[in-house]
Amino acid sequence: MIWPDLKRVEVPMSLKAKAHIAVRSWARQGACVERMPNPIADPAQVARDLLLRIANGDREAFSALFLIAAPKIKAYLLRLGCPPAGAEELTQDVMLAVWRKARLFDPVKAGALTWIFVIARNRRIDSLRRERSTRTYGAHPPDVKDEDTPLASDIVAGAQRDILVRNAMKTLAPDQREVLQRSFFDDQPHAEIAAALNLPLGTVKSRLRLAMEKLRVRLGNLA
Amino acid sequence: MILHAPTPPPTHHPSLETLTRYAAGTLRAGFDFVTAVHVSKCLHCREQVAALECVGGALLHETTGAPVQEDALARTLARLDEPAFEPEAPSLEQLLSDVKRRWVAPGIWVAKVNTPHDKGDRVFILSAAPGAATALHAHHGDEYTQILSGVLGDGETRFRAGDFVERGPEHMHQPHTIGQQPCVCLFATRGRLKPADMIGRLAFMIADV
Repeated sequence: MIWPDLKRVEVPMSLKAKAHIAVRSWARQGACVERMPNPIADPAQVARDLLLRIANGDREAFSALFLIAAPKIKAYLLRLGCPPAGAEELTQDVMLAVWRKARLFDPVKAGALTWIFVIARNRRIDSLRRERSTRTYGAHPPDVKDEDTPLASDIVAGAQRDILVRNAMKTLAPDQREVLQRSFFDDQPHAEIAAALNLPLGTVKSRLRLAMEKLRVRLGNLA
Repeated sequence: MILHAPTPPPTHHPSLETLTRYAAGTLRAGFDFVTAVHVSKCLHCREQVAALECVGGALLHETTGAPVQEDALARTLARLDEPAFEPEAPSLEQLLSDVKRRWVAPGIWVAKVNTPHDKGDRVFILSAAPGAATALHAHHGDEYTQILSGVLGDGETRFRAGDFVERGPEHMHQPHTIGQQPCVCLFATRGRLKPADMIGRLAFMIADV
């Protein structure tokens, strides 16, 4: 056999895992949404609340999320080189996938924008591969809800995590931000990014590393 | 009862550039696949990718939107009740086990992995028994390797099951199996391998790599 099954080792449930399960079931029931109306309506939290309503088939919530998210998704696809007509169509596909998968959204595991980003990324990959082959494969499986032992970082609720990352990113030096941004939005290896910026490859690599290190220091258990 | 010793966590990981491009979804398909196999088996890299996906979410959040067509929402709403047609994507394990082995030399078999990869990417599994010599070779492009089982020696370094190796085109090497078990590796390469001698050329021709 080529790929031996890794035996799952049973370990006693840690306190952390118990806390995680408690938080998760609480969040699933939507308790945190109703009991704690948020005085500062952060867009990430607005999007999260909308997603939880969409999971229950709420079309009004879907329309509201569409107005927030669809233009951002389209801008992201255009930036990655999608032709405009294709970006429009793919944006609608992504939003349709958001509707269909909303029940899999776990507010403890991921922030709403991160969850939407992952769906947009995966749809884009699928559509690129479909142009070359009718067969795609699941190299990026994260839209499946998994019940694995939680990562330490899961304990921070998803929306809060998204806000932390966003705030931490504001503290990055502009050149570090630029490399991060280009790494996500330019469909290019770093050697080409370096050439475009007229920088040695090593500089681009070290900026990315410094940016991620800085994010990690600021977020503690995030990475 | 004998308990299985837990597999030690991998010690060789994809570079930050590779993980970032994996999280961004911009790796070439064949390299994306091999990276996905590593990430699925490596808690450390899963956490890294999760953090990088948060960065992607934050960047998406900050993006100034591009206007969508006026009827975009109406058209999407009209499709909400369409039955979802999602062709079932084969899992990584399925793709890895759904392969045909071809013996190319004593103790060595190669199997192409059927992924819809970019033209020019090659994804294959290579198994080398202890003592089987692989051919000294270089590459036209990058090479990613995920060790599936056994121990691989490359120069001074030993790579164990779960480890990931990235090599650039300039790297000339002759990896070999260490220990009593065959070493089984998953490779993605860009372009054909460049064998350094005649035997290698023959072996690579038979193996179609």
